[in-house]
Amino acid sequence: MNWEIANKNFYRQGTRAFLNVLVTALSIISLIFMLSLLNGFQAQATRNLAITDVGGGHYRAPGFDILSPTEWEDHTLQVPEQLMQLPNKNKAEVLVQQGQLYPNRRLYPVQIRGISMDQSLLSLPLDNLKKFNEKIEDFIPGVIGVKMAKKAHLKKDDILTLKWRDKSGAVDARDILIVDVADMVNPRVDDGVVWMRLDHLQSMTDRKGEVSWVAVRNYVGPLDNFLFQSPEILMADLLALFRHDRKNSKVLWSILMILVCMSIFNTQVLNIFKRQKEIGTLMALGMDSKRIVKIFTLEGTLAAIWALVVATFLGVPFFIWFQGIGFDVSHLSQATFPIRETIYPAYEPLEIFYSLTIVFVLVVGAAWLPVKKITGLDPTLALRGRAIK
Amino acid sequence: MKLRDMDNNLIVLNQVSKEFRVGEENFTALNDVSLEIEGGAFMSFVGPSGSGKTTLLNLIGGLDVPTTGNIYFKGSNLSSMSRHQMASYRRENIGFIFQTYNLLPVYSVYENVLFPLLMNGFKEKDVRGRVMDIVAKVGLSDQSKKRPSQLSGGQCQRVAIARALVKDPLIILADEPTANLDSENSLQILELMLDLNRQYKAAVVFSTHDEKVYKYVRRVVKLEDGKIFSDKNNLNKVS
Repeated sequence: MNWEIANKNFYRQGTRAFLNVLVTALSIISLIFMLSLLNGFQAQATRNLAITDVGGGHYRAPGFDILSPTEWEDHTLQVPEQLMQLPNKNKAEVLVQQGQLYPNRRLYPVQIRGISMDQSLLSLPLDNLKKFNEKIEDFIPGVIGVKMAKKAHLKKDDILTLKWRDKSGAVDARDILIVDVADMVNPRVDDGVVWMRLDHLQSMTDRKGEVSWVAVRNYVGPLDNFLFQSPEILMADLLALFRHDRKNSKVLWSILMILVCMSIFNTQVLNIFKRQKEIGTLMALGMDSKRIVKIFTLEGTLAAIWALVVATFLGVPFFIWFQGIGFDVSHLSQATFPIRETIYPAYEPLEIFYSLTIVFVLVVGAAWLPVKKITGLDPTLALRGRAIK
Repeated sequence: MKLRDMDNNLIVLNQVSKEFRVGEENFTALNDVSLEIEGGAFMSFVGPSGSGKTTLLNLIGGLDVPTTGNIYFKGSNLSSMSRHQMASYRRENIGFIFQTYNLLPVYSVYENVLFPLLMNGFKEKDVRGRVMDIVAKVGLSDQSKKRPSQLSGGQCQRVAIARALVKDPLIILADEPTANLDSENSLQILELMLDLNRQYKAAVVFSTHDEKVYKYVRRVVKLEDGKIFSDKNNLNKVS
């Protein structure tokens, strides 16, 4: 009978019940949406860093440290046999040297990165370099990223002087032609970086066959003279940021949950508040307090179930649609995160499960708690609508 | 729980006082009230606002408990009952009629009247006829499928009366039942209650300051400042 009464009470409330359900469903959708955007943001940043720079790890010349430019020249080695044998889709040979650009007669220290043109492991927009021969002709062809171009006030087809030192320490300089200004996505391979063909850089620095590192798809075991650095090591700064961000995201998740909880609790309590007299009437008619609590809790359960159903019906098409169009964060791509103009939500089943469980428990709890309180008081207070204020 | 023989009295109040906390101070709503209500009574508590009429009804109805003193229902002391027992007492013996009707808003007239029977463990199919009979007695047969929001004030009060009567209670407590009704509806309601009191033999106790009620009741208990000012049989009653 309790279930029957709860059913009747719930369904016959009509618009009020529908609005309660809708508010809860929309809260669930917004919660999942915001969490999945945050996940998507982090997943995309990690993925982009991997596909533009890190790959599945680097075999690096021992002592090479990207943060010590003055030592880059001292840490280059011939590509070992085992890595040379890897197919181009599984490796990317990179030589890193320091240099100076002179845009508008200003000195601009740069990281010159030479990359093999045959590689297809890293996804870099360097197609314009492929048009050139192995031999450098009038100008050294180079590609820079959008950020770099903006900072150095450069554009496509600009010609400017590039200075570097060769293997023997001799300073050399030549004109470089900016053959493309490309969207690099990852600021790490854009800001202060000039990309060129590996063979050109090797020839410029007299380091034929030498590289600073070889990015690989998978670890191929220990190699003489080269040290493997895993993606975790190479992305340590970003991962540390994300770990910190995870803590922040937990805080954010908690804040979101609190907001959602407050919204749901408010709706539910308001609903109960409006029905105080009804509760008082049930008490006056002789209904046992426990039974009243049961009936209202069942109503809350119904509301929670319907909220989940409505959230599924409204949310799933929305999430599918949104997965297709993504979320414009072009303002962030100018910042230091390796993300594209659009981020796409990433849905974490466990996170969704926890969120839904909490919302469900909350809706039921929000129905249970005030009624429990009301029925614990004198029925006269409920009848006068003064049990909860 | 039976402490003493109460003769034919249904309710006995013995030196009952009730205090409420209002802010920092105590407000005495009832002060040392003693009275008896016999079975089948048709009586009224009258008095100005704040005299303690509603408090007295609430205490008799088991909606509240006295601060001091005892209330006996057929010899059982209400003050010693648990909340659960008090709920059973209300469910089985008391019918309430409120000034604001207090009907269950999502239920139809029929369902509102049926509700107390379902709470008392009856199955709908067994009591359908009884419910329809009482709905007919209060003149709402053709409105039985309507919800309270579709009824007038007078009709709502009739539903409340039917709901109070349907479980055949020993006492009906009516708190200002005519306060929200116009004169014509008030008289109709009073006639109806008097008629039902004769038929069903339930004691009917009003709290009111409506003079129209005075003419109908057989006994008038006047209250002032929480005390019984007078307790007289009404010689000028209509019937």
